[in-house]
Order: sequence, then C-alpha cells, then structure tokens
Amino acid sequence: MPAAVQTSPVFHVRGLARVYGEGDAAVIALRGVDLDLFSGELIVLLGASGSGKSTLLNQLGGLDSPTHGTLLYRGANLAAFGEAELTLFRRDAVGFVFQAYNLIPSLTARENVALITEICRDPMAPEEALALVGLADRMDHFPAQLSGGEQQRVAIARAIAKRPEVLLCDEPTGALDVRTGITVLEAIEKINRELGTLAVIITHNAILADMANRVFTLSDGRIVSVRENARRGLARDLAW
Amino acid sequence: MSLLDTKLLRDLRALRSQAIAVALVMACGLAMMIMTRSLILSLATTRDHYYEEHRFADVFARLKRAPNSVREELAAIPGVAHVQTGIAIQVTLDVPGLAEPAVGLINSLPERGEQVLNRLHVRSGRLPAGRTTVGELAVGEAFAEAHGLRPGDSIAAVLNGAKETFRLSGIVLSPEFIFEAPPGAALPDNKTYGVFWMPYRELATAFQLYGAFNNVSLTLAPGASEPAVIAAVNRLLAPYGGRGAYGRIDHASHRRVDDEIRVLVGLSVAFPLVFLSVAAFMVNSVMSRQIALQREQIAMLKACGFANRQVGAHYFKFSLAIVAGGVLAGALGGIVLGHQLVEMYHLFFRFPQLDFQLDARVLVFATAASAGAAFAGVAGAVRRAVRLPPAEAMRPEAPANFQPSLVERLGLARWFSASLRMALRNIQRRPVRSALTCLALALATAILIVPNSFRDGIAYVIDFQWDVVQRQTVTLSLVEPGPARALSDFKHLPGVVWAEPFRFVPIELRAGPITRRLTLQGLPERGTLSRVIDGEPRQLTLPPRGIVMSAKLAEVMQIKPGDEVVARVLEGREREIAVPVVGLAEDFAGTAAYMELDALNRLLLEGDRVSGAHVVLDRGHWGEFLSAVKRTPRIAGCIIKDSLREGFRKTTAESIGLLQKIYLLFATIVAFGIIYNSARISLSERARELATLRVLGFSRGEVGAVLVGELVLLTLAALPLGLVIGSGFAKGILTAVNTETVRLPLVLTPANYAFAVLVVAVASAASALFAARKVAGIDLVGALKAID
Ligand SMILES: Nc1ncnc2c1ncn2[C@@H]1O[C@H](COP(=O)(O)OP(=O)(O)O)[C@@H](O)[C@H]1O
Ligand SMILES: [Mg+2]
Repeated sequence: MPAAVQTSPVFHVRGLARVYGEGDAAVIALRGVDLDLFSGELIVLLGASGSGKSTLLNQLGGLDSPTHGTLLYRGANLAAFGEAELTLFRRDAVGFVFQAYNLIPSLTARENVALITEICRDPMAPEEALALVGLADRMDHFPAQLSGGEQQRVAIARAIAKRPEVLLCDEPTGALDVRTGITVLEAIEKINRELGTLAVIITHNAILADMANRVFTLSDGRIVSVRENARRGLARDLAW
Repeated sequence: MSLLDTKLLRDLRALRSQAIAVALVMACGLAMMIMTRSLILSLATTRDHYYEEHRFADVFARLKRAPNSVREELAAIPGVAHVQTGIAIQVTLDVPGLAEPAVGLINSLPERGEQVLNRLHVRSGRLPAGRTTVGELAVGEAFAEAHGLRPGDSIAAVLNGAKETFRLSGIVLSPEFIFEAPPGAALPDNKTYGVFWMPYRELATAFQLYGAFNNVSLTLAPGASEPAVIAAVNRLLAPYGGRGAYGRIDHASHRRVDDEIRVLVGLSVAFPLVFLSVAAFMVNSVMSRQIALQREQIAMLKACGFANRQVGAHYFKFSLAIVAGGVLAGALGGIVLGHQLVEMYHLFFRFPQLDFQLDARVLVFATAASAGAAFAGVAGAVRRAVRLPPAEAMRPEAPANFQPSLVERLGLARWFSASLRMALRNIQRRPVRSALTCLALALATAILIVPNSFRDGIAYVIDFQWDVVQRQTVTLSLVEPGPARALSDFKHLPGVVWAEPFRFVPIELRAGPITRRLTLQGLPERGTLSRVIDGEPRQLTLPPRGIVMSAKLAEVMQIKPGDEVVARVLEGREREIAVPVVGLAEDFAGTAAYMELDALNRLLLEGDRVSGAHVVLDRGHWGEFLSAVKRTPRIAGCIIKDSLREGFRKTTAESIGLLQKIYLLFATIVAFGIIYNSARISLSERARELATLRVLGFSRGEVGAVLVGELVLLTLAALPLGLVIGSGFAKGILTAVNTETVRLPLVLTPANYAFAVLVVAVASAASALFAARKVAGIDLVGALKAID
C-alpha cells in the first residue's frame, strides 16, 4: 500500500492498554497495542474469544477510553476527548456494525437508517445506502420481517449512510451462516472499495483474513502477528 | 417529526395497555384535584361576588328592642360604614300540605328605600308591595322549593297569636341565608323551617314594635377593627337587651359555606397526593422496565453518535406522553364531575347562580405536578441508562444472582412446589423491587378503604344521631319558654305516650380568648328521649352542677373536664355565669353543650321553665296529634325526627354519597391499574426465563404458576399492610376534612375491609389470568431471541 503509507494514518496507536476493574479483580484486556491504520485499508482483527478484540475496537470507535497509551485519530488525541467531543466523533466519523445488529425493532429498515442520517452532517439518502447493501426492495420491512443477514446488512447500511471515515465491524458474521455471512462481507468490501472507507473487521474466523489488506492477530491483549496480503481476495471466494 | 419520535409513538402503541393504566391512575388523581379545586373556586368566588353585589354585612346583632333613633348612634361608632336595622321574628306557620306546623323567620324590609345591606335577590315574582298592598310575603327559595310554593300561593302564619293568611309575592334569595337552616342546627330542614320577608310597617305593627328594631347588620369601614366595633355595639345595645354582636365567623350561613370549602380543601390535597405518588411509582416501574429492555438500543444510539441529552429526552418524552394522556383525561373527568357536584350544591347552598368554574391555575399546577411526578419517576432510570458506557451496554447483562430463598434455607422447601420456590426466589432476588411492588399493591388496597369509610361514617351518624341520641318521635317547641307545667299539657295531647322537657338557651361560651355561640340544652338528668352520649358510647348522667359539652367543641375551645367556662346568656335577662365543664359528649351534627334542666333554670334565675318537649307518640294518633298541635298557638314548631333523618339522607348523605361513589370508582380504577401494571412488568421481566423453562419441558401450567405465584405471594403480603395503611389514610383524611359543623366519625367495618380485599383479589386474579394467557402464548423461539 505505498500510496497509503505515504499519507498520515487515520489511527495512530502506541502502547495502548485497557484495564477493567481495580486491585485483585483487575482484568487487563489490552496490554500495550501498537498499530497504524490507513485510509482505504480493509483490516481484519483475528483472535480467540476474550483476547481483547472488542476492547480494541471500542477504543478506536470512541466507545471507551484507554487506561494508558497513545490513541490518535488524524493526529487528534482521542484519549483526551470529552463526552461531547466523543459523541461528535462517533456521529460524524465512525460507522459501527455489531454482532447483534442492534436495530430498533419498531422502525423499518429505511427508518433505522434514516434515524442516523437525521443527525449527520453530509449523509447519503437512506435508500441509497440500502441499495448499496442490496436491500433496495426490503426498505419498508421491520427487522422482525428480515432474516439475520438482511438485518445485518441494514446495520451496515446504517453505518455507511453517514459516509464515515472508518467502518468498525465487531463480528458482523458471528451470528450468520456461511452464505449469509459472505453477502454481508461483500457489502463491507464494496463500501471499502467504492467509498475508500477504512474498514476494520473483527472475527475469530481466520478464513476472513484473505479479504484483508492487513491481518492483526491478538492474543491475551497483545498483537502477536501482523500479516500483509500482497493481493486481497474477494469475499465471495472465501471458503469456510 | 424525527424518527426517534416515530420510534416513541410505536413503542407507546406497543406498551399502550400499561401506558393507559398509568395515565388512568394519574387521571383519577388529577380529576379529583381539578374537581375539588374548581369547586372551591366556584363556591368562593360565587360567594364573594354575591356578598359584594348584595352587600352582605360584616357584623350582626340581635336585641330585644331599641328605638329607631339608636340607629344613628350605631352609625356613629368609629369604624362602622353602613348600618341596617330591622325586625326579625320567628313565627309559626301553617303550610298547605304539611301536617305539622313549621317555623318561619320573618325579616322586615325597610319602610323607605332599598335595603342597605343583605340585599335580596328576587328569583321570581317581586318583593311585597308594602305601601299599596298588605298581606304579602316574600319567601326564601329553599323553603319554597321544599313545598313547591310559587308566587301567588298563600301561606298562613301566626303573628303574635293571630293567624293570618299571606300571599306569596315572590321567591327570593339572601346572602344571609345561603344556607337556610334553623338557628343552632347544623342540618338544613327546609320542610319545617323557612325564611320570609315582609314590609317593616306591617311586621312591626303586628308585634307592637313600630318605631323600633330588634336586628342589626353593619359593615365595617376599611381598616376598622372588628373586635373594637363589636365591643362598641355591645356597649351601645346592652340597655336594649342586646344579645351580643358577632362577626361573619359566627354567622351560621357564612360558617357553613366556609366549612364546606374547608372540607374541599382537605380533599383536594389528600386524595390527589396519594394517587399522584402511586402514578409516579408506576411511571417509574414502566419506564425502568422499558429502559432495561432497550438497553442495547440505547447503546446503539450512543455508539452512532446520539448525545446523552437526546437519549435522555427521548425517554422523558415517553413519560410525558403518558402524563399528557393522564392530564387530558383527568381534566375532562374533573370538569364533568365538577359540573355534577355543582348541581349537588344547589341542595344546600342558595346562590343567585352557582356555575362550575374551572380553576385554570390548578390545571397548570396539576400538569406541572404530574409532569414533575413522572419526571421524578423516570429521572433515575434515565440517568442510569444514559450513564452506561455504550461498550458496556453491548455486553449482555450479567446473569442475575440467585440464591436459595429464605424459606428454602429454613428447610421448608419441601412444602413448596418448584414453581412456588422459583416465585419466592424471584421475590428475594430483587428485594427492593418486590418491596415496592408490594407497597404499590398495599396502596391499591389502602385507597379502597377511604371512600367506604365515608359511607360507613354517614350510616353511623344516622344511627347514632337518630337512634342512640334522639329517641323521640317529635320535638315540640314553645313560642316562648314557658312554665314547667306546659309539660303536662304536652302529655295530654292525643297520642302522646311519653314526654320529656327541654330548655334551650342561646349562649356565648367563652374560654380564655376563644368564644363560640351555641344553644345550651337543658335536659333531664338522665332522660330517655334526648340523651347525652359519650365516646364509648355510654349515656351520661347530667350532674346537678356544671356543663357537659361535645368533645369537638372542647377541643376547639382548648378546654378539658374540670376547667371552667363562662356562659353569657343571650336571651331574656343578660347574665354571665361561670360553670365547670364536667364531661364530654359525642355528637356529629354541630357542636352542643348540655346541662341538667333544673341546674340550668337555677342559673338563669327564671324559675322552672321549659322551651319545649321531646315526645314519643303512638303512631295510631298521628293525625289527631298534628291537628291538635296546629290548634295550639303556644306551640311554635314541631320537628318530626324521621323527616329530619330523611332530610339528612337526602342532602348531606346524598352529597357525601356522591363523592364517595366517585372516589370509590377512582380507587377501584387505580387498584386495577396498579395490579395490572405489576403483572405486566413481572411478565416482561420473566419472559425469557419462562420461555427457557418451557423449552426445558415445563408445562404451561407450571410456568404460569411461577408468575401467578409471585403475584399471589406479593398480594398476600400487601393486603394486611394495605388495610393498615388504608385505615391510616381514612383517619388522616377525616381529620383533614372534619370541621366544627361538618364532621364524620372514623368508622372501619369488616365489610369495608372485605370489599377492599375483594377488589384487590379480583384485580389480581384478572391480571394473573391475563399473564397466564400471555405465558401460554409465548413464542418459544422468539422469546429466546429478543423480548419485550
Ligand atoms: N466491561 C468489562 N469489565 C470487565 N472485564 C471486561 C469488560 N469488557 C471486557 N472485559 C474482559 O476483557 C477481556 C477482553 O474482552 P473482549 O475485548 O470483549 O474480548 P474479545 O472481543 O476478543 O472476545 C476479557 O477477559 C473480558 O472478560
Ligand atoms: Mg468481542
């Protein structure tokens, strides 16, 4: 990624640590993570359950603050952001995709997306976002009327409709079967390619690694390996 | 409308039955507040306006007789603005269609010009012509209505021994007689007591009072001191047989309206306070549950960039929507019921016009109060939800920390089924919530006690007053106190089985700075007809010395048995006598004081005299008796106990009965609302767990039993507590509303308790049934995924 390397990173992380609790009950979820993430990259974070992946993603997305270390977003010190600044950061720069979809059950697909675009600076039309994830014909369905994969794609549409700088996906396929999982990953891949969004995908499934530019493996709160793919595979070619 | 508001509306729809339950409870409290406050406003402003328009006086005095020239001296008293003198005389009436004689108070109309004070309002017809026609009377509306009298009808009255027939010129109202009741009586008796007006010359001539007056009203100049004026009036009138001037506070009609307003003030605070607290608690439980269910939605909103303020506002709006529903329903209910109750006041109070006036300020206050209550109810839950870091909220909630219940640890477990054990554990797992639910159920029980205690109190008063205290058939009163041998004349009237004399003397009782005007009753030491009963209740024997007074009077005058009071006699020869208080009596219709008849006569220095007699009749001679009474000019009045009782039933009892029914309806709605809501919430909290049990192979019945068991256990715990709290409420509210002239005893009957228990049991059963049906319908797969 020569082009990316020359520009400044979106995230610049050094010695990032997060400790939950205190004293004897303290849980060290992250113990010194270093990484730089660049615009347009597709990153896969691999690791066993409990290795600290979600904790790291939450730090990047401004959902949680680190205990120690440097966490810069475009040169700004995220760790020092207050509540209001973090809210604005999340509103304008970050798109989240959660394992549990977290749609509002009382709103239709279109309304779930529109709920977020209502508060953004320069969003795309909810219809456009839904079309991007291949749900143009299901826009007026309620979550209960959609399959898991469709719900997850609504969640992706919701995340990308704000044209975020980064798309953070925490086990987006965790609750899905293979085929559905691939359609969801394709949607993320498409956004990453077409909009140049930095996408970070968490998974404990190593097969997803093929579609990434870079793959970080976490274990016990540390990055234990970084792999750079010379050529990115396509999501649809992934074989479970 | 933002999509967050769309979500709000749809969530509200999904939660509508609970939202309606909460809104209804709130509406009941608000309706009562708006109704009572508006009635207060209606009564107070109508009265004040009436007083002003018709120039109701500030100070009143009766006297034996003073020449009209004294009027100028009265007007010259510093601080007196206007004076009106006249004649007021009590006469015996013969009303067409009424078997017994009635009593009329005839007031004079000024000889020249209009009335200066206490001006009449002519409802129909006109005032007596006076200068051109004689034999005309204007009649007060209450009496006219009770007898269906209309202008042009005639009525006979005995004026100074001579029976004359009068033509009714018109029906009138007076600010002096908003409440038309015989002097000293707390209850209206519009059949046998009426107020009339007649030209001065005609009335004065009949009683040889021409050129004199026996009745004064006056108004005070701005800034004048009422006690000083009263003292000056008393000094001035003393030589003319003055009976003591008094202010509005001692004016019977004014006092009664005032007391009614005081009752309403008590009611306007007590009930709504309880209902609104219950509503606040319900808002809290509904919203806490809603927020718990939407934990992940809240986390998502925050992760997507919604500010805490926006998320918090969303849930506040949720509860405000419920409040809005409650306020709307409450305002409508309050206005409708207020209109009905205003109608009821026409039974007691005679105003030219009494219209319902909505107290707009209370509407604003009520809205603010319920919004505040709802706010207080959800603030904690919202704050917790908003504070939760989004990353935290995404993680599933930690599994509840279950423990074997206390019952199990005590080794009693084998006595309980698995379902009941689970119910017990559920209760114990969340002790605070369980306690609050239990408290809410107890409140539901408690509020049911209050209205029925009113009903039972009324029934008790009716029995007490007219079976225990008053055992005569009729009470005959003489035109003037007469010699004791009048009693034997009474005994010889046809049909009379037994008669006991009484002597009524108007007095002013004084203890320290506190004075009260009342009728001192002289009775036989241990009579069998009109009896003096204490709080036990036990008949008191009147001792040969000293005064027995009603406990309430002693309380307001701050005296106890053994103390001495000063009684100023307001009739005949002016006297002041100091008497010891020797006992306290119980009575509910006004405040009374009693003395042994001979002891009273000794104090009055007038020899053996009686004012009348209580009489027991053989009903077979009813007709003969009444015509004999009508033929006896010395007999001024004849009060039939049963018609008094009937009158009380029709007026006071009916009005309190109407209030009681409204309150009972509200209390029942609230009880159902509370219980239904509790069932819904525990169903919602347990749905996942119950679905899991079903998946594990428990039957619908067993699973339903967990839920129902919990509700039943909490209800069982709540019932006794509720009965205790309810008794306390009843006591507190009665204390708040009891006044000197309007009082109810605290009567708590097993039937009252049984009714409360029954309503709560039915509401619980219905809610349990509903919950059980829901449990049966749980979609097993769906419930395990997501539940709301
Ligand atoms: N809020 C928290 N409080 C305490 N411990 C936590 C919390 N969040 C995560 N942890 C702990 O931190 C470690 C890393 O968790 P997480 O980042 O969720 O792992 P992963 O997403 O890789 O499965 C785990 O041991 C987890 O139990
Ligand atoms: Mg995780």
